[in-house]
Amino acid sequence: MSKTEEYDVLVIGGGISGEEAALNLADQGYKVLIVEKDLSVGGKMIHLSKVFPTLDCSACITTPKVSETARHPNITIYTYSEVSNIDKKSEYDFRALLTKHPRYVIEDACTGCQLCEEACPVTVQDQYQYDLVGRKAVYVPFSIANPRVAAIDIENCSLCGACEKVCPADCIDFTQEEEEIQIKVKSVVIATGFKLFDPTLIPRYGFGVFKNVVTSMQMERQLVPTRPYNNVLRPKDGKVPDNIAYVLCAGSRDETVGNPICSQVCCMYSIKQAQLLMGALPMADVTIYYLHIRSFGKGFNEFYQQSKDMGVTFIKGKIGKIEETENGDLKLRYEDIESGVVKEANHDMAVLSVGILANDGVSSMFNNKLELDQYNFVEQKDILANPAQTNMSGVYVAGTASGPMDIPDSILSAGAASAETSGYLRGGYDEK
Amino acid sequence: MGKTIDIIKTKRKVSDSVKENMKAFNKIKRQILKSLETEEKTVPQIAQEIDLPLDVVTYHLMTLQKYGNIEAGEVDDMDEFYFYKLKK
Repeated sequence: MSKTEEYDVLVIGGGISGEEAALNLADQGYKVLIVEKDLSVGGKMIHLSKVFPTLDCSACITTPKVSETARHPNITIYTYSEVSNIDKKSEYDFRALLTKHPRYVIEDACTGCQLCEEACPVTVQDQYQYDLVGRKAVYVPFSIANPRVAAIDIENCSLCGACEKVCPADCIDFTQEEEEIQIKVKSVVIATGFKLFDPTLIPRYGFGVFKNVVTSMQMERQLVPTRPYNNVLRPKDGKVPDNIAYVLCAGSRDETVGNPICSQVCCMYSIKQAQLLMGALPMADVTIYYLHIRSFGKGFNEFYQQSKDMGVTFIKGKIGKIEETENGDLKLRYEDIESGVVKEANHDMAVLSVGILANDGVSSMFNNKLELDQYNFVEQKDILANPAQTNMSGVYVAGTASGPMDIPDSILSAGAASAETSGYLRGGYDEK
Repeated sequence: MGKTIDIIKTKRKVSDSVKENMKAFNKIKRQILKSLETEEKTVPQIAQEIDLPLDVVTYHLMTLQKYGNIEAGEVDDMDEFYFYKLKK
């Protein structure tokens, strides 16, 4: 029979919103459980280079918060774990099933020395570098992962036992099995984040076929200090690119791919990357093809103007098709919206600024009792007065689980969710 | 703790695709490392020598760089391609 653990609040998701909500509540004395499906907390933000419009180092903002969350006496974190069957028995009484997947590594014993990685003979695509390089079957997810401990990708493991032989801490444990824990909490915060649009759903852009067509997340990884390559390079041939195109609204504002809404961040992260590219590759030309530039936040328009001053070219144009030419270069066919003329332009690399979509499976965690909006984000029942309130009292939503938003707005949203959760826990439940 | 690998071997089998991927990666790894024994080379030079697609060489080369087998040297005269060499 599985064991039962009790907490005040269950926070689903250990990204920036989940951590912010958890810290706010833990600082008020509530016992908080964070359940993160990935091997590390930190969400997507921990993988970014810099943030807009300040160009502050993203990891420098994230990692202190990650550490604070991990060390907080009122916060318990389960990584590589999932929750299901969240059942509301009554107010302040939620039950859930937590499934902890086996890492095949004893977390408390692993020092993150990576000797196991050196010994492992298997190499597969590294999902944390968005498939640009390989990783081993036993691996520390990434250098600033928390917890910074190894895990074994059992589906790709050759069962050679080399990792177990070399581990100085004797922490490889192939006897680990999936563990189930019953959870009892008084309230729930949903901070499940978002997923990125899959650009293979627009075959005319050639992603996956033309290797020099990459996603914005792949370019983001090329711009961080822990990048997959030694510089910004073309995945096809390792050439230093000198004429890079950005294709905005790739999978956003597009009824044909089922996502008619704006992802809110693509314009600004593309402008940010363009500026960073001009720093990394001073001789490179960067062109951004856009429908409308939505620079609506504080300092955003100045940031946009700054990129123009730095030499980024902006073309109001809708990309119809990308073709590969000789040497892996790319020909972009587009409608120049200003002149109404179809034109072609040559670039040696194209970045698809992919949009933000709702994560799958959020409502099913609640046995489909949680209401979603028409775009599958968590429905906010009273967006003006109680923006974190869902259709279930005691269940609140934080960050991009409720819709596309940038990092500051995600943190604000998490603040709202923690405040509303705190109000609920202090007896503020209103039956109306 | 004793060796636990023997316990899981009684419960799981390694799939053919894992064996094939491992074999393929290690074959390309050997080819790239052998190619760089004589002199430092760019991705297109290595690809031409070992007759593999450019993107396959780039992926494997960068993975070898990540794991410390090779390192990047200077960029060529056209500022287009880096030279890669074995890490001593």
